[in-house]
Amino acid sequence: MRTRSAVFIQIRDLLGFGLTIAAAVLLILRGSEQLGYNWHWRQVPRYFYTLIDGQFLPGPLLKGLALTLEITAISLVLAGVLGLMTALLRLSSSLIGRGLARFYLESIRNTPLLVQLFFLYFVMAPIFDIGRTATAVLALSLFEGAYASEIFRAGIESIGRGQWEACHSLGLSRAQTYGRVILPQALRRILPPLTSQAVSLIKDSALVSTIAVYDLTMEGRTIIAETFLTFEIWLVVAALYLGLTLTLSVLANGLERRYPRIA
Amino acid sequence: MELNKQSINRDEVIIVAEHLVKTFPGPVLALDDFSIRVKRGEVLVVIGPSGSGKSTLLRCLNGLEAIDSGTIVIDAIPLDHHESNRLAIRREVGMVFQSFNLFPHLSVLENINLAQCLVRKKSKPEATRTTRELLAKVGLGEKIDSYPDELSGGQQQRVAIARALALRPKVMLFDEATSALDPEMIGEVLEVMRTLAEEGMTMVVVTHEMGFAREVSDRVVLMEAGRLVEEGATEQFFLQPVQERTREFLRQIL
Repeated sequence: MRTRSAVFIQIRDLLGFGLTIAAAVLLILRGSEQLGYNWHWRQVPRYFYTLIDGQFLPGPLLKGLALTLEITAISLVLAGVLGLMTALLRLSSSLIGRGLARFYLESIRNTPLLVQLFFLYFVMAPIFDIGRTATAVLALSLFEGAYASEIFRAGIESIGRGQWEACHSLGLSRAQTYGRVILPQALRRILPPLTSQAVSLIKDSALVSTIAVYDLTMEGRTIIAETFLTFEIWLVVAALYLGLTLTLSVLANGLERRYPRIA
Repeated sequence: MELNKQSINRDEVIIVAEHLVKTFPGPVLALDDFSIRVKRGEVLVVIGPSGSGKSTLLRCLNGLEAIDSGTIVIDAIPLDHHESNRLAIRREVGMVFQSFNLFPHLSVLENINLAQCLVRKKSKPEATRTTRELLAKVGLGEKIDSYPDELSGGQQQRVAIARALALRPKVMLFDEATSALDPEMIGEVLEVMRTLAEEGMTMVVVTHEMGFAREVSDRVVLMEAGRLVEEGATEQFFLQPVQERTREFLRQIL
C-alpha cells in the first residue's frame, strides 16, 4: 500500500514537472513569436567550428570556451594554493602573518569582484605591465582564494585536537603533522564546499569579458553583435557553462566516492 | 622488547620534575609546586579525584602543555625552550590517550609506520617489520590492513599503544587509557600494559583501575588540587596510607 502511494507520488510529481516545463517552453516560444523573433539554429554550428577542405577550424565559441577553461583552470590552482597558504597563515603563531592574511581576506571579501577586476586592469596592470589574460587570472585567483582560505581554515579547525596531540607525542614536526595527518583529513571533509567554490569561479570568470578578454561570454557577445542571434547564442553559452560546472561536480563526486574514509 | 628487567639499574632516575606550576585561564591552578621523580623501569601510578591535575602532569611531561615554572628533565634531556630538546623528549616519551587518537584516514599499518618513517627515518620495509612485531605483541597481527573505524575500542587502544611503542620510547605515559572503553574491553588493554611493565618499560600511568594499580605498579601517587597528597610504594600505599585524605579517597573508590 505504502509503496503504491509512493510510486503514485513520483508519477504525479513527474507529470507536474513535465507540464510546467512544457508550459514554460511554450510561453517562451509564444513570446518570442510575438516579438517577431526568427530562430536560426542552423547558423549556430559554424560558430563552433567550420570544415574547410576537410580541415577542422575552431570557431569563436570553441575558442572562447578554451580560453574560459584555461583561465579557470589556472585560477583554480592559484586560488587553491593562495587559499591554503592564507589559511595556514591565519592559523600560524606569527602576528604579522595573521594580520596579513586578515587584511587580504577582508579587503577581497568586502569589495565587488568587478571593482577588483577594474582596479587590477586599469591601475595595477599598467604599472606592472601585466597582460589582459594574466590580469583576469590574477583577479579571479585573488577573489576565489580569499573564499577558499575560509573553507580551508574551517576544514583544518574541524580536525580534533587529539590528532594534533597524537602527532606531537610521536615527534612529528608541524609540517609533517599538516601534510600527513591534518590536511588529508581536512581536504576530504571540505571537498563539497571547495567544489561549489570552484563552480563559482567558473561562473565568475564570465566577468573577465568586461576587460576585453575573449572568453566564452565575450565571444558570445561579439557574435550577437554581428549576427543578432541573441536567443540562440545566449542559450548555447549558458548551456556550455552548465556543461563545464556539471562536469566539475561529477569529477568531485567521483573523488568523494574514491576516498570515502572518515566522515 | 629488548629491555630486560634484570639489566636495568633500578636506582637510575629517568624523570625528574621539580616545582612544576601550571595555571589555566580561569585561573585554575592545575599544578601547584608539584615535584616527582621516576626511576628507570619503574611503574608509577598517579591517582586522584577528577580535576586534580593528573592529566596535566602527564601532558606537561611530554611538552603537550607548557609549564609556567619548574624544571623537567627526562633521560638527561631538559625540557626547556630549545626546540631540539623538546623534539628529543617528544621522541623519547610515548603517550597513550584516553580517546586513542588514531589517524582515521590511515590503515593500522600506516598508523604505526608513519612516525617510524618520518621521525626515525626508517625505510618502509624496515618500519613494516617493526609494525608486524608490535602488532603481534598486542595481539592484533591480523588487523594490519584494517582501518581504525573497523576496530573495537579495545583494539584501537592496543593499536595506539603499538604506535607509541614503534618509536622505541624510553618512557610511556598512559592518560586514562581505559576510561573510554566498554568494560569488557578494559582487560585486553590492561593486559598489554601489564606485559610492558613486566618487560621493564618505565611507565607513568593515570588510571582509575585500582586492581591494575595494586598489581602492576611499583609506586603510587595521590594528587589533589595540583599538589601531591601522598606517595608510597604500592603495597604500603594501599595497606598503610599515612594521610587521612588518602584513606578517605581509597574508601571512596575501593
